[in-house]
Amino acid sequence: MASDQIYVGLEIGTTKICVIVSEGRSDGTISILGVGETPSRGVRKGEIIDLATATECIREALLDAEEKTNVEIGNVWVAITGSHLRSFNNRGTFMLPDERDEILQEDLVTVETNAKEVALPPPNIFLHTILQAYHVDGNHNIISPVGMAGRRLEADFHIVHGIKTRIYNTFNCIKALNLVVEDVVLSSLASAQVVVTQNQKDLGVLVIDMGGGTTDYMVYHDGAVRCSGVLALGGDHITSDISIGLRLPIARAETLKIQEGSAADPLNSSGGIITLKNDPGFLGCEIDRVSLDTVIHLRVREIFDLVRRDIENSGEGITGKGLFEMLGAGVMITGGCAKLRGIASVAEDVFQLPVQLTRARNVGGATQTFENPQFSTAIGLTKYAMAVSSNLPDESIFQRVSRGLGGLFRSKSK
Amino acid sequence: MIGVGNAGITVLDLMALEDPGVKGLFVINNDADSLGSSIIPDRILVPEGDPRKGFQAIDEEFGRVIKGAPAVLLCGGLGGETGSFLLPALAVRAKAEAITTLACVGLPFSFEGRHRREHAASSLKKLYEHCDAVAVIDNEALSGGSPSTTAVGEAFKVADRTLLASLLALQGMLGTSGPVKITRSDISGVLGMPGSQTHFGFGRAKGSNRLHEALERTLKSPLLVLPGKGSALVGTPTVLLFVRGPKDLSFAEVKMAVAEIERIAGENCHVKVGVQAEESTTFPLELFIIASSKGGTANAAELPIDPPLSLSDGAQHGKNGGKEVQVADTTKQVKPPKKTAAKQTQGTLNLDPYQRGRFDRSEPTIMAGEDLDVPTFLRKGIKITPPRKQ
Repeated sequence: MASDQIYVGLEIGTTKICVIVSEGRSDGTISILGVGETPSRGVRKGEIIDLATATECIREALLDAEEKTNVEIGNVWVAITGSHLRSFNNRGTFMLPDERDEILQEDLVTVETNAKEVALPPPNIFLHTILQAYHVDGNHNIISPVGMAGRRLEADFHIVHGIKTRIYNTFNCIKALNLVVEDVVLSSLASAQVVVTQNQKDLGVLVIDMGGGTTDYMVYHDGAVRCSGVLALGGDHITSDISIGLRLPIARAETLKIQEGSAADPLNSSGGIITLKNDPGFLGCEIDRVSLDTVIHLRVREIFDLVRRDIENSGEGITGKGLFEMLGAGVMITGGCAKLRGIASVAEDVFQLPVQLTRARNVGGATQTFENPQFSTAIGLTKYAMAVSSNLPDESIFQRVSRGLGGLFRSKSK
Repeated sequence: MIGVGNAGITVLDLMALEDPGVKGLFVINNDADSLGSSIIPDRILVPEGDPRKGFQAIDEEFGRVIKGAPAVLLCGGLGGETGSFLLPALAVRAKAEAITTLACVGLPFSFEGRHRREHAASSLKKLYEHCDAVAVIDNEALSGGSPSTTAVGEAFKVADRTLLASLLALQGMLGTSGPVKITRSDISGVLGMPGSQTHFGFGRAKGSNRLHEALERTLKSPLLVLPGKGSALVGTPTVLLFVRGPKDLSFAEVKMAVAEIERIAGENCHVKVGVQAEESTTFPLELFIIASSKGGTANAAELPIDPPLSLSDGAQHGKNGGKEVQVADTTKQVKPPKKTAAKQTQGTLNLDPYQRGRFDRSEPTIMAGEDLDVPTFLRKGIKITPPRKQ
């Protein structure tokens, strides 16, 4: 039934807004039909700061996508990020009533509700409750407990929450365009759908999506999400640093970063001088390459250091310091900043793990699109969409993907 | 609580306005006009003229006032004629009665003149000798973070407010009847050392999100923020935290406040907590922080009598221009104006730590007290070769 289903992923990024239209295949893969893209305005650090302008940009991107794919877009899946998003792990417990010892489907719902019995700060709402594992009577890591005999059902969840109004802003923006929001999905969760394989998730992997305004990360181990977070730092900060340090206009700093910049340790820099030509309104100058690399290196290193510290401080035991030793598949870097030269060497140095630059995999269609790490999140959205909407029974990923705010938003938008 | 001189009166007036129920306030001054305009009824007028004679004249009356008090909190500004002499003298007098004596004093701004700062330094030394604990608010450090356009009146207002907050904190800590107490020895342990820089924070909030709001306000108090460097708490060995709140002040709130401060101050920091829950349920949640850092930052007692800046010093200053930025060393800001004053201000008035570039108007990304929108190389003080013109 899912063979001809069309899914639309919308990412409102700090640098660009992109719309990916994908087709779900019956074998569980997706094929990209086309991409709509516009440079983003009115978005800072992953969040909308100018609603009207951002809405206009989204409209452009959607029109672009409709034109290229010949699909009329009605329902979209939206990625969300922002420094207000927080996460933690929690366990829910449910004791079966005395007269029954078989676990039913509705018990799984109860146990999830129990896990959510935590006091969030008042302005916050739950964004995701991602299942990690079930335990039945002390038998750990059960994938599907329905039908099993047991007295005590427990479940571990990774819970993501954020400030309600800030989540709704994204939603309002799209509502203004008369579109139905199927669900809002944490950016890193979306990216992880396509940049890492199930095998890597089992081995343990850290996915870092370093975009323009934010750096989102997510740690998988034993096939489940252990830890996630958002830092409101990204490529924009690198550009801003260059602009301040080398006294260049922002646009100039951005091109310089893309064309010449390297995040690798400046001690190994080839050195020399980069000559910037005269432009109207800009007097040419000569820039020391070591200076440029130093500025970039320090910022990138700091961002990775913060990610590492965040993960180490996220809890004890399996989520704390020891977690890094268990990441058998190392670190995956995606997002626009993955294109920065030398970024992998910095990450290797900080995390002391093998680092790979990665992009969407196991997808078909327009090659140029999925080879670009900037599109990982939007492509991941469509994959997530398919995983959630599809009824394919045998893929564990579907159970692991959470029920989000979907119902809530759908009902509101009608 | 005794306010001495004009500054002391202003602060106690503020306090009485803020909390009309507060008791045990006294003001002492040699200026009948300022005493007359104060709203505090209990006052002693010192005869004008030689302060020594004046002190003898009020000695007996002062003795009566402090008789039987559990502790004496002296408060005032140093550097002027009244406070500089009277504060140490009163401290000696109170100590002679074997009463715990604390002082909470403000040091003058550098623009008030070298003479005043020297004067202040010598009386501060005396205070350290005689008091159990001395909290020092360096007005100069306070003004370090304010823009150059700040009105003079505004600067004094901020100084008075901060002095008030520190007074409230000390008063609260001394007067706790709560289950967890901060003892007097804790306070003198933190404030007893001459030459240390005291950091104060105060925040108050009501409502459902009161803890976060109060914490945020506390941590953003001017004396807890070093310009461009983030929180002053980073690396301090001991932090006194006093939490006062309504009847429903919860265990979790106190725990969270402590956790947050530990997170900022680092693992090695010892946070001492005092908790007091008031009977009323409408009382706001108040947080007070006192910490002092040794050595590294402004050495309040010795600073104003630093030897004049030598030429080689000046040269070094220039060389380390980049380094200076991130250290944001308060010592540099409180150096008294001297012959080479123009040169010095050049060195200290570096505005780089405030460069947030394109993120100027967006929500700041602050982690562990550091503004991460400020370029990393600036915060780490690494020098970048500027571009050359063709």
